[in-house]
Amino acid sequence: MEYEDKVGRPSKPPSPKQNVRKNLDFEPLSTTALILEDRPANLPAKPAEEAQKHRQQYEEMVVQAKKRELKEAQRRKKQLEERCRVEESIGNAVLTWNNEILPNWETMWCSRKVRDLWWQGIPPSVRGKVWSLAIGNELNITHELFDICLARAKERWRSLSTGGSELENEDAGFSAADREASLELIKLDISRTFPNLCIFQQGGPYHDMLHSILGAYTCYRPDVGYVQGMSFIAAVLILNLDTADAFIAFSNLLNKPCQMAFFRVDHGLMLTYFAAFEVFFEENLPKLFAHFKKNNLTPDIYLIDWIFTLYSKSLPLDLACRIWDVFCRDGEEFLFRTALGILKLFEDILTKMDFIHMAQFLTRLPEDLPAEELFASIATIQMQSRNKKWAQVLTALQKDSREMEKGSPALRH
Amino acid sequence: MAETYDFLFKFLVIGSAGTGKSCLLHQFIENKFKQDSNHTIGVEFGSRVVNVGGKTVKLQIWDTAGQERFRSVTRSYYRGAAGALLVYDITSRETYNSLAAWLTDARTLASPNIVVILCGNKKDLDPEREVTFLEASRFAQENELMFLETSALTGENVEEAFLKCARTILNKIDSGELDPERMGSGIQYGDASLRQLRQPRSAQAVAPQPCGC
Repeated sequence: MEYEDKVGRPSKPPSPKQNVRKNLDFEPLSTTALILEDRPANLPAKPAEEAQKHRQQYEEMVVQAKKRELKEAQRRKKQLEERCRVEESIGNAVLTWNNEILPNWETMWCSRKVRDLWWQGIPPSVRGKVWSLAIGNELNITHELFDICLARAKERWRSLSTGGSELENEDAGFSAADREASLELIKLDISRTFPNLCIFQQGGPYHDMLHSILGAYTCYRPDVGYVQGMSFIAAVLILNLDTADAFIAFSNLLNKPCQMAFFRVDHGLMLTYFAAFEVFFEENLPKLFAHFKKNNLTPDIYLIDWIFTLYSKSLPLDLACRIWDVFCRDGEEFLFRTALGILKLFEDILTKMDFIHMAQFLTRLPEDLPAEELFASIATIQMQSRNKKWAQVLTALQKDSREMEKGSPALRH
Repeated sequence: MAETYDFLFKFLVIGSAGTGKSCLLHQFIENKFKQDSNHTIGVEFGSRVVNVGGKTVKLQIWDTAGQERFRSVTRSYYRGAAGALLVYDITSRETYNSLAAWLTDARTLASPNIVVILCGNKKDLDPEREVTFLEASRFAQENELMFLETSALTGENVEEAFLKCARTILNKIDSGELDPERMGSGIQYGDASLRQLRQPRSAQAVAPQPCGC
């Protein structure tokens, strides 16, 4: 009876659910399972008062959920806008690099505007081109020269693998055994270069390219040969350039004074670089510098890996590429400035550590090192010491060490 | 966080490129094999506190680059080392042949008393072996080295190599053969033993002063 009564009620108010939903232009997803039902028909109806209270509670819940979801939607929208903005700025940067800067390289590359854009990071699609232009080709290496060096390297590999011992007589004073060791080491190290990327290892798409560049270089500069660390540099270049262009950039990069000093393992000159670094270290971070001194933590312990691989082994690859960007712009000085930026970024943690923990920390930097924070930290590092710039400090120290070598105390007052 | 230990020993891991030095260290510290291993440029580090013969010893381990060319750099890290793992690869005669040169470096640059354990690594690759156990143990005997064949892959004998070296150093300290107080011994007292050592001295220093308690 009651049932009929209810059903037959003509003035049935619209279900509160419909009511509420209709009023929402934005429907909160998280309330779709939250349905305000009338009490089942076989039970007595709610008293009006209770029904009113439930409706109110329901509406409050929906309003809360709506608020929450609106906030979330706004956050997502902002994120999307941010991503669009970044993508747009990269897109714009690509256009600027391609249409304005690259065609007018000689006149524009050192302009304020280009330098600022450069600091933001070079878009990956033009990165290789910019690096090539910035590194230059002082050595005048042609694609033909690369082919010749590569052909020679291949000949050597063949004669070694067939066990032929009648190698042409020793050039540049290198014994066959040394050369063999060097070629073996290249093979070994290629398998250990960015192993997690799985592209340079045997069977990977870039294995032969990496092998070719390192092999060709040992034929181009037998006096330098293959030195560990080179495989990382060549690998990063390969990721951004064609083989022959990567070889040209590789050879010219290694020919820069700082790289030559390190890859020839000229220990005296390396020490001079470390000494220059310490001048700026003390200037920029006196407290940390004192802490390092107290703990006998010398810069070679962390700098050797950073300089030899240009940070490609110790920083996340995309961050390392951004360091390379500015290194191509500013030269060797930026490598040491980056080191100081890293030290400054972690100054608080480092000052609480002892020797071994600092050494471990610096030779194995955190994997999630934040790019923007690092660049902000690097930006605060001043490469001026008592009005002297990096190059001046380095030259003065080199002069000092040459005079020391002469062992003439008269020259040093 | 303060660690307490009786002694701190500086250890080196030396040997030719690709013999598995970093993997041995990783196995010793992390108890697992380092799958995607890079080559070491310069030097890397590890440390672990171990218990040897009732003493707690902190090992400060310097894992050096193996390429011949880097020797001029890595040599500067030898100073003050108390122990060394001299590593070759049992599947590579070439790495075995260069052992004598590495050993000379260690004895002349670290200390003539440096305790060295020879490690024939990659024991798990027995079918590819180029250096026999007998041959290497003869070399070890002639040069007064301890000797173990190890596998950084399986972990076999890795812990033993480090512990054996540490135990020998401790024995030499006990017998007076090694003097931790000597400069460049590669041995430092930890907090635990410093307290024991200093107590009598500081007690003397404090004695003449009137005591407030």
